[in-house]
Amino acid sequence: MLAKRIARGHTDLHEISVALSLLDGVRKAALEQGVERVNAVHVRVGALSGIARDALLFSWDVATADSVAQGSELRIEEIPLVVFCEHCAGERAPLPGSGLLCPECGHASPRIVHGREMQLVAMEVPA
Amino acid sequence: MQNGHLDQLDATDARTVVLERAVLATNDALAAVNRQWFADRRIVALNLVSSPGSGKTTLLERTIRDLGADLPMVVIEGDQATENDSARIRAAGARALQVNTGTGCHLEAGIIGRALDVLAPQADSLVIIENVGNLVCPALFDLGERAKVAILSVTEGDDKPAKYPYMFAVADLLVINKIDLLPYVDFDVKRCIANARAVRPGLEAIAVSAKTGENMDAWYSWIRRSRVG
Repeated sequence: MLAKRIARGHTDLHEISVALSLLDGVRKAALEQGVERVNAVHVRVGALSGIARDALLFSWDVATADSVAQGSELRIEEIPLVVFCEHCAGERAPLPGSGLLCPECGHASPRIVHGREMQLVAMEVPA
Repeated sequence: MQNGHLDQLDATDARTVVLERAVLATNDALAAVNRQWFADRRIVALNLVSSPGSGKTTLLERTIRDLGADLPMVVIEGDQATENDSARIRAAGARALQVNTGTGCHLEAGIIGRALDVLAPQADSLVIIENVGNLVCPALFDLGERAKVAILSVTEGDDKPAKYPYMFAVADLLVINKIDLLPYVDFDVKRCIANARAVRPGLEAIAVSAKTGENMDAWYSWIRRSRVG
């Protein structure tokens, strides 16, 4: 029952939708590569992406059941928020909870350099 | 490329296939189809996002009553259950389609594409998408809209943009609703806007009461400008 709902993406956890999307990409790549098993999947997730690490790990295990990626390890590289401060003319890491404010001069920077990432980076398959 | 950890893999019994694609590539592709569909018909689509109870539907009802005669509008209502909201929209005079998401917490581009097939909005009209009441995941899913409008009511707390930066960081307009209740709540409009601009510098903000109609003209002006821009 739960599996059926999750297969349709019907669940309160948006990480399930993200995990299913991820699996979609992995499946296509596995077909192209002619592999029947995937050992690990690498993703890059930004601090401002709205994805909770633990929820995504849980969702991955559920979403990949009975798939080419069943039992695979999801390796999440978390990308901290980095903005380009035009006032300081340099890249800065805002303090947690301070939005995009430059920690040096306090200016709000309109340019996010890192933090929005949501990338399927690579997969590991048996040699 | 930030994949330093890939180097740690044992390459002897496994190989690594580099993929480098957006996780939500499928949704993004469908959103691009929607965006082109809108552009071909000079339709402006707005994606309204907020917490439950911010007054989105009331805002829409008044907007339809005030602008509907000159500006054709259709509404796509995303809700986890019930037809209540679309019934209110229809009573206000616009065509509406309710897309119940079950327990899903957001709308995705494919759902919007199917809703457009059913609603068939006319050229030069306005399509308003009322997303599921939620300030996290609707931020992730592009629907093909022209703009994301984040709605916040004064009963919610002026620190909400700081608590939910994901949504406010991608918003194109902040509408602060229920300002008729300001005398009764501890909500500082200026502080709220400052909090939102901390995650979205330069974000345009409009404070209204959809109930009394106060300052709704500013919202209508913004809609008209969005159709030109």
